[in-house]
Amino acid sequence: MDVAVSPNGKRLLRALFVLVVVFLYAPIAILVLFSFNNSVLPTFPLSGFTLGWYRQFIHDSDLRGALETSALVAVLSSIGAVVLGTLASLALARRRFHGKAAASALLLSPLVIPYLVFGIALLLLFHTFGVQRSVLTVVIGHIVISLPYTILVLVPRLQQIGVDLEEAAYDLGAGPFSTFRLIVFPLILPAVVSAFLIALTTSFDEYAVASFVVGTRITFPIYLYAALRFPSRLPEVIAVAVVVITVSLLVVIGAEIGRRRVERRIGALDPV
Amino acid sequence: MARGEGRLTDIGARRRRRARRALTTPGLLGLPVAWLAVFFLVPIGIVAAYSIDALAIFPGKHPITLDGWRELLHSGIYLGLFWKSVKMSLIVSAIVVLLAYPLAYYLALSGTKRKYVLLLILIAPFLTSYLLRVLAWKVILGSQGVVNSFLFWTGLRSPDHPIEQLLYSRFAVMLVLAYIWLPFVALPIFVSLENLDMRLLEAASDLGATRWQAFLRVTLPLSAPGAAAAFLFIFIPTVGEFVTPSLVGGTSGYMYGNQISDLFGTGFPDWRTGSVLALFLLAVIASFTLVFSRFTRTSQVVG
Repeated sequence: MDVAVSPNGKRLLRALFVLVVVFLYAPIAILVLFSFNNSVLPTFPLSGFTLGWYRQFIHDSDLRGALETSALVAVLSSIGAVVLGTLASLALARRRFHGKAAASALLLSPLVIPYLVFGIALLLLFHTFGVQRSVLTVVIGHIVISLPYTILVLVPRLQQIGVDLEEAAYDLGAGPFSTFRLIVFPLILPAVVSAFLIALTTSFDEYAVASFVVGTRITFPIYLYAALRFPSRLPEVIAVAVVVITVSLLVVIGAEIGRRRVERRIGALDPV
Repeated sequence: MARGEGRLTDIGARRRRRARRALTTPGLLGLPVAWLAVFFLVPIGIVAAYSIDALAIFPGKHPITLDGWRELLHSGIYLGLFWKSVKMSLIVSAIVVLLAYPLAYYLALSGTKRKYVLLLILIAPFLTSYLLRVLAWKVILGSQGVVNSFLFWTGLRSPDHPIEQLLYSRFAVMLVLAYIWLPFVALPIFVSLENLDMRLLEAASDLGATRWQAFLRVTLPLSAPGAAAAFLFIFIPTVGEFVTPSLVGGTSGYMYGNQISDLFGTGFPDWRTGSVLALFLLAVIASFTLVFSRFTRTSQVVG
């Protein structure tokens, strides 16, 4: 007998699951549908098939500029967050020290601040010290909000692989840097990649903080928010939406499959 | 004996050698902690300084004053708006957790094949663009949108009388927020159910408990911390939300976060009041988090 759920209960839960998945994906499907619709207004009945909106956004230089800025911000802030996150995770997972609870609370605290409040706080910081708002100020903010996510991914992985191999490396005369490069880094690489991708998608999608600290070179979400206010640009934005959502879904699913595969292979080598 | 001692000192030497070779703890922690101190703690301190006029938009001599805080406590407008946002956010969080719980239960405990694939399907929308998912609902709910035009087309409703309350309403804000956060909360609940020791349920069943009794007395208490964490994960971002209400909320969906962002906008900036409101929000969320973490920790000890 199945102790958790009866056959009827399972059927009911499955039906609920299917309903929720439909609820989650139907709006995305509707965007896809209207991105090919030959009308400025997204209304029924559909009026005809067109690729015009996609053509229009490919030639939109403002949009391309915003996408490039966002890509730059995302890559820079993800590198920053992963580097800082790796350092912090090594300390949290491998060291015993006074004030560890306080340190980990501080490192994770950006998780529990509303981005609105953090955006305002950064704005006031830069204003007070006369720092010009630019791509760099957005990168600074995004490193702060991505950092806790990288730690949440990296610490469990470090705990999982254990310290035996590192200690063996030290005993065999390796220094801290070569131990990290040759032993630890290859073992945590899948988690590093996950952390990097999480930071990348977080930054690429981040509006609230960026809206307060962005300079003249705007990021993609800022562009999108502005465009959402002009109905005439809606179809073009919908076409962009379809491309961005498709690409991000592919990246997420591809990364997850890749991580599983690599961790399984490394898992076979683990000395556990 | 001598041999044993030799081995002991050997281990001691080894440990010392390791300690010398490994990077120091401050070397590892220094940079990340400094980053958060400068770009996270100091900015919050500056907000506090603005909230009491120790700093101001227009530099000059200002006496330090608690007027901003007094205003907040005495003006019904800000507190009323705050209470409205808290209510909206609590309702959204509750609905989403109640909806996500059975889904996570289904994936974790019903012995479904490929549960991780199904979990990924459930979570994947969360990892796509936030603004674009709001956009989808704008397209669906607008007075000329998908729902209304579909109703006109099928003749269920005349084009002169579209359902106006769909978009730009409190309902729209709550629907969109629930839509956005639903995939995200399934994860912590799934993890807590996945870690559940199935032998406990088997024992309950052997001792004559029905599935409902086992659920209420074993599964639910043990997964409550996960559900509480999920609740908190939605409450924090939604109570300070300003993007979704500004896109689909209209005037009736205007939230506390909109008020704050407007005070820092280009129209009539009032950074002192804005700082007070922002810090108040932060204080409420911090106390919420503390209460919740205490709650989850005690239940973990009990578990």
